[in-house]
Amino acid sequence: MNLVILTLIIIFSFSCYLFGKSKILNTSRVSGKKFHSLPEYYGYYLAAWCGLPALIILFFWSFSELFLVKIFILADFKTDPLLDENKLNLIFSEIRAIAEKKFTGTIPESLIPYSEKFLSINRILELSKLVVILSVIIFSLTFAYSQILKNIRARESVEKVIRVVMFSCAAIAVFTTLGIVLSLLFESIKFFTSVSIFDFITGINWAPGRAFVRDASVQTADVENVFGAVPLFWGTFFIAMIAMSVAVPIGLFSGIYMAEYSSRKFRKIIKPLIEILAGIPTVVYGFFAALTVGPFFRIIGENLGLDVSSESALAAGVVMGIMIIPYVSSLTDDVINAVPKSLREGSLAIGATKSETIKKVVLPAALPGIVGSILLAISRAIGETMIVVMAAGLAANLTINPLEASTTITTQIVTILIGDQSFNNPKTQAAFALGITLFFFTLIINIIALNIVKKFREKYE
Amino acid sequence: MNNDKIKISTRNLNVYYGAKQALFNINLDLMEKKVTALIGPSGCGKSTFIRCLNRMNDVIDICKVDGSIKVDGSEINEKNVDVNKIRERIGMVFQKPNPFPKSIYDNIAYGPRIHGLAESQNVLDEIVENSLKKSALWEEVKDRLNQPGTSLSGGQQQRLCIARAISINPEVILMDEPCSALDPIATAKIEELIDELKKSYTIVIVTHSMSQAARVSQNTGFFHLGKLMEFNLTEKIFKNPDNKMTQDYITGRFG
Repeated sequence: MNLVILTLIIIFSFSCYLFGKSKILNTSRVSGKKFHSLPEYYGYYLAAWCGLPALIILFFWSFSELFLVKIFILADFKTDPLLDENKLNLIFSEIRAIAEKKFTGTIPESLIPYSEKFLSINRILELSKLVVILSVIIFSLTFAYSQILKNIRARESVEKVIRVVMFSCAAIAVFTTLGIVLSLLFESIKFFTSVSIFDFITGINWAPGRAFVRDASVQTADVENVFGAVPLFWGTFFIAMIAMSVAVPIGLFSGIYMAEYSSRKFRKIIKPLIEILAGIPTVVYGFFAALTVGPFFRIIGENLGLDVSSESALAAGVVMGIMIIPYVSSLTDDVINAVPKSLREGSLAIGATKSETIKKVVLPAALPGIVGSILLAISRAIGETMIVVMAAGLAANLTINPLEASTTITTQIVTILIGDQSFNNPKTQAAFALGITLFFFTLIINIIALNIVKKFREKYE
Repeated sequence: MNNDKIKISTRNLNVYYGAKQALFNINLDLMEKKVTALIGPSGCGKSTFIRCLNRMNDVIDICKVDGSIKVDGSEINEKNVDVNKIRERIGMVFQKPNPFPKSIYDNIAYGPRIHGLAESQNVLDEIVENSLKKSALWEEVKDRLNQPGTSLSGGQQQRLCIARAISINPEVILMDEPCSALDPIATAKIEELIDELKKSYTIVIVTHSMSQAARVSQNTGFFHLGKLMEFNLTEKIFKNPDNKMTQDYITGRFG
């Protein structure tokens, strides 16, 4: 139904555009009257009045429709004090499933009348929606038509409409972010009511599985000591550092090479090739780490007499480092290219060699940008999940030995939420607490990085 | 021309940017401790020419320099010549002031540090002070040597770049339109400075201003479409040029 209405609105709007345009063209041709704007603006104006109010109504109506139906249907059940919110929701889902013929199993006799009621209410709502939208279209079109005959400044109105449309898109993006953050926040607050925030941040024992075992009636005392997130913070930091110690030197030097030494032709080939690294799915990196790099390190370790577990922080970190090389190298290349040529020539003209010039003039000038790119790479490393899940293991060890298994915040979120979970026990809520911590970390790093990059831009552009 | 000593001489100098030839058979002698001005319409090859003299054209991939350039009688346009040593002897000041994003002090100290000219901090301080004095900037910046060089005004920045060029005590200073980005007052200061500097250095200046060439130089060369049309004493060029084109250019009839 919605699809039909949507198609209708689009067709109407389009014909309104054509109609408005030709109407103005004809009027000015016949009567010689001079209009404020070009004819197509009157077309756009008419189309906007036809389409936008209808679309807005369609949007909100469709959202509230189900809600309205639910209120009508459940009115009968509300009186029963034994039914709480969850059970009411369940009943409604069953009724809906019966009505839509998707119910599996034996249909409970008692619910059948309600499913018929569901269908009839639905039909009424759908019809009235169509009627309302059509009448809105007619109403707003009459208004808009009278407006264009009055020779309003359609060009300016269209400008306003465009502005509003752009703004709403931006607003959607912002509100989505806000919604995500808020949902994280609320779930985390629930978590922190059963586990103290202090224990979470400072505890060194991470074993949420134990809380799950006692799930049935979780006592605060039971969960106190199993949600210490320090091993995860440490693991995240540790693996990110290993990754950076691979990505920074290689990325930095290859960036410098591309910007300063390679010929333009060679750079054109090599830069996209390096950027391919960023395009490889992380899951591919993951099995590369788990099946190739991990065992490789273990064999080397065995030969050296070291005890290397096949899932190690080292393997995950190194592979993650390879993945983020292009972030560092491409950005380094860009910021170095942004350093004015005149500075290089100034240094060369004093008799400095190329590497002296790079070391003493180009890199210091590009440093803020390079630091920014490294910070962006770090936030990428911190958020990376798949490689760690596959290659670093799940054990929450608090260790500085890179050869042992380790785990990160993201990995734990995955393991906590995999499979069927009930959403109101501390174990699952812990995922949200971890999520918001992670979000907080990367947010701060990103803000710092973007500020540094911005400062750098201001200096030279 | 006269019996001054020749500092730099070029013979059959041809420069190509890819397939396009920018300079044709330039034969030019630059006199020691004199100012030589190079004039000519835009795109005539003046800048290309002076960039040959300290091998700055090496930086441009597609640029090819053919012919002989001799400094004090020894060839510099050869593969096995140490380019950095040449640039140490032949400094350059650019059209747009290009101080490094470092302090005023570090801007000047840059060259001496790279070439190891100062064994101690005191010597370095002295070099910085002398260079700034020679470029007539000392009085204006002596109290703020730690501020960034980019914080100076355009004219001051250009004098800073001159100070930077003379900090390593070169023999020749090449100036590529050093005043084109400056106002008249700053320009007058730089011209005064050039007059002072010619006592110790051989100077080559590319300029678009006829009056500047007439004021600061002893010899003038007129370039047109990559060819050296006329080279003579400045006085002669401006009063009684041999070439009809030179006459037309300096009187503003074309260019």
